[in-house]
Amino acid sequence: MDLIRTRIRDLRKALDSKEISAVELCGEYFKRIEAVDKDLLSYITVTKDEAMRSAENAQKLIDEGKSSALTGIPLAIKDNICIDGVRTTCASRMLENFIPPYNATVIEKLNAQGYVLLGRTSMDEFAMGGSNQTSAFAKTKNPYDLERVPGGSSGGSAAAVSASLAPAALGSDTGGSIRQPSSFCGVTGIKPTYGRVSRYGLVAFASSLDQIGPICNDTRDCAVILNAICGHDRHDATSAKAEVPDFTEKLGQPIKGMKIALPKEFYAEGVDEAVKDAVMNAAHELEKQGAVLVECSMPGLKYAIPAYYLIACAEAASNLSRFDGIKYGFRGEGRTFEELIRDSRSRGFGEEVKRRILLGNYALSSGYYDAYYKKALALKQEIIRQYNRIFEQADVILTPTAPTPAYKIGSQDSDPVKMYQADICTVTVNIAKLPGVSTTCGYTESGLPIGMSIIGKRFDETTILQCADAFEQGFVPVAPKL
Amino acid sequence: MAIEIQTIQHLCELSKLDYDEEGMKKVMGEMSDIIDLMDKIKEFDLTYDDTKDGNDIRFGDTREDDPEESFPTEKLLSNAENTDGCYVVPKVVD
Repeated sequence: MDLIRTRIRDLRKALDSKEISAVELCGEYFKRIEAVDKDLLSYITVTKDEAMRSAENAQKLIDEGKSSALTGIPLAIKDNICIDGVRTTCASRMLENFIPPYNATVIEKLNAQGYVLLGRTSMDEFAMGGSNQTSAFAKTKNPYDLERVPGGSSGGSAAAVSASLAPAALGSDTGGSIRQPSSFCGVTGIKPTYGRVSRYGLVAFASSLDQIGPICNDTRDCAVILNAICGHDRHDATSAKAEVPDFTEKLGQPIKGMKIALPKEFYAEGVDEAVKDAVMNAAHELEKQGAVLVECSMPGLKYAIPAYYLIACAEAASNLSRFDGIKYGFRGEGRTFEELIRDSRSRGFGEEVKRRILLGNYALSSGYYDAYYKKALALKQEIIRQYNRIFEQADVILTPTAPTPAYKIGSQDSDPVKMYQADICTVTVNIAKLPGVSTTCGYTESGLPIGMSIIGKRFDETTILQCADAFEQGFVPVAPKL
Repeated sequence: MAIEIQTIQHLCELSKLDYDEEGMKKVMGEMSDIIDLMDKIKEFDLTYDDTKDGNDIRFGDTREDDPEESFPTEKLLSNAENTDGCYVVPKVVD
């Protein structure tokens, strides 16, 4: 079977019509992973034996006519989502041998449908980064150009889908970690509204910003996975008690009259001309379909990077304090309790994670708390107000997903400030707890994908999916040659 | 603004992290640049109002405090080194 950019719904048809069995399909993906991933490095762990067993069980369901949307569908899961009995490393030496004793809620939900786990995808260590180059185990490359980064932190998930080493994957997004790698790798990824998907079992980076979401070949597949993983969870006090719609309900509906806002600050200096052109061309395509473009402004964007990093790192410093080398994780050496903890953390964490812990503790420490952390919270309120004002006159917002296409490996790694500033187009969506989907809207002259983001009102994923899908129906994506 | 060595040492203390001399020098430079970027927020003239946090999402109510079966001890301890039916730490009392 041709696996190149094959969509979940095509696989569903092939499985249900017995064109291919779940075991055969799974085997085909492992063959491709074996052939391609030695260069790409998108997986940290491949779970072949477990996958074959799951595929056999899935086949029984299919044979009995009891298949759901994801029965027998192979998926890759980012390595920060806990799976009972399967090594979950967060791409960190700290968790190199960690075997979770329980399943994340999203995994329970996928299991209920009989999905098949292909393996655990690489990421920036503890989801801190936008290049996948902070991974301790697999510094993933971009399928369109192996000298370039795949984005991050869910870079392994995006690269695996882009290179057809999985038909879809789960990622997590704290400041753009689903959308930016989706943009760099030419695939589609959605960060749902905060609270839409349970975070139970997601290794916490910044608890008020983290959200799990799918990365797929297109918007329609994203909707299928959202249908499987969303919903309130009693194990997560921040999961919302909001009605869960059928996320496919608006797909294919005309967008005539849909108001699309273009905040001018997202198209300002610092954003590549090729990116601006591709996103504006997409805006005009949507206009041709009957959408109405609305000019608007988000002046708070210029403070978004410090606000995001202060909030995210403050939460990370607190969340990562649990890693002490005693209950689980890398165990250092020391004659005293204090020495053991310091050695475990100093050698277990990578440099970027340590920098963020230091920054978080700086923002929270006496004398700096009001000037930095509380100021960042004030800015969060202002950004929410500014989004609310835009949504008074628009249904969705259209922006570039990243200021540039995928950049060369090594070109930004030594400069944390440059790395942080590259998150400018995505972080406000997490701060305001909004849903955002990134899909490919064009390619550079050298063939690198360019992504655009469609941002919606809280819990209005169906409208952004409708808009992204409307664009995709007239767009021909180009798969990487791998 | 160059960050002072005492500040970094204090942060390392709070963070339970150690650097060797070279690492300390490097992280001081990086943190100085990062704090410069964060300082931009000081231009923003608004005060945080914790009564208007905008968190208007209805989250789940706290679940009932029902007793549930706990994870098996062996499973939890399997991720810890030096186990002997319990977590082992360096001697803290003479």
